[in-house]
Amino acid sequence: MGSDAFTQLVDANYASLYRFALSLARNQADACDLTQQTFYIWATKGQALRDVSKAKSWLFTTLYREFLRGRRRDVRSTALEDLPPDEADPPAPAVDLVAALDAEAVVGALQEVDEVFRAPLTLFYLEELSYQEIAAALDVPIGTVMSRLSRGKNQLRAILARRGQGSRDNVVPFSNQQVRKAP
Amino acid sequence: MNNEQAKFILRAYRPGGRDAGDAIFGAALQQAQLDPALGAWFAREQALDAAVAAKVRAVAPPAGLREAILAGARMSTPRPAAAPRPRWRPAAWLAIAAAVVVLLTVVATRWYPAAPGPAPLDQMARFALADPLSAHTGPHADKLGTFGAWLQNPASRISAVSGVDLAQLQAEHCRAVTVAGHEVFEICFQRDGSWYHLYIARAGDFGGNAAAGVPEFLEQGGRSVATWTSRGLAYVLMTGGGPDALRRIL
Repeated sequence: MGSDAFTQLVDANYASLYRFALSLARNQADACDLTQQTFYIWATKGQALRDVSKAKSWLFTTLYREFLRGRRRDVRSTALEDLPPDEADPPAPAVDLVAALDAEAVVGALQEVDEVFRAPLTLFYLEELSYQEIAAALDVPIGTVMSRLSRGKNQLRAILARRGQGSRDNVVPFSNQQVRKAP
Repeated sequence: MNNEQAKFILRAYRPGGRDAGDAIFGAALQQAQLDPALGAWFAREQALDAAVAAKVRAVAPPAGLREAILAGARMSTPRPAAAPRPRWRPAAWLAIAAAVVVLLTVVATRWYPAAPGPAPLDQMARFALADPLSAHTGPHADKLGTFGAWLQNPASRISAVSGVDLAQLQAEHCRAVTVAGHEVFEICFQRDGSWYHLYIARAGDFGGNAAAGVPEFLEQGGRSVATWTSRGLAYVLMTGGGPDALRRIL
């Protein structure tokens, strides 16, 4: 692949890959490292990919594998059986509440979701990959992706609802005369 | 399939209609159309997903990351070790040149895949009939400038639409979806209390079975559509208000 084609590939994908990395790694420095490492692997190995139309899936798959590989061994990943049972249809936050939050707060909430659900959920919200491509990228069956999306959304919404409630609680009602008169 | 099973499937349906052509969602989407409670749940689900997705996509990568990636890749490109200059061997060079030509052809073909061919306008109509979202989560015509205002004007006959600027439409629309590999823009507007959804695409992408300017009608599942082409564009107007509501404004 020529340098122009490589630049095109970077321009088309680096922002989404960074967002995915940020949700996994939970800090900017590691997310940048993961994104760079992914393109480095492409530059050294990925060009052998025969079907260039699958480059995007390849990049997301590689980033996820690099994340799993680089995770410290003493950090135990959460097993599904450790997680509380899923609530059938928990109360969801209002759309207005999510719209009022800034992007950082929403990504922060996403980072609180259990890792096993976080990866498919972030890929879902990036809207770059279908559920089938997400299954291929994470190397899990399609039904598992659907199940994790469902449970992950429930977790995320509970976190967002909590955050929204928290920010509402911090708002001082305008009708509070004492506060209005304070210097 | 009961509603809980439909919900399980529909939770994997990306906001924005990108999965509209995926058969696995077909039955669940149809059920959401027929069951008001499920339909309302799905509309809320999609609105919430769209709001979260917009926030996730709004996160900007740090300045300098792109340059660092490009510079890193340049440094990682393997450099051939210094070797004695080979003697001129015409046959080998010819073989290499031929291989390069073949390689470039293959790369060009794969990297720039052929554009999808034109689809019948009927396909766009069937998408509109089955479209579960109809963009009620986005902006509507009242926020889309003069064209939006024209659509809402009770005096406007929609089949006489003209002067639609596709470039302007790309910037201002309620929703953009892909149907049969082609870009379609949707604008939602209200007339006499009924919602209408106008889908617009290039006529070159959807054509073949509609006479220019003469609307054709289709009905399915309580929805009605009219399709026509005019001045290089293909139109599908959809409403759930019945065929009379459609004819009234055409």
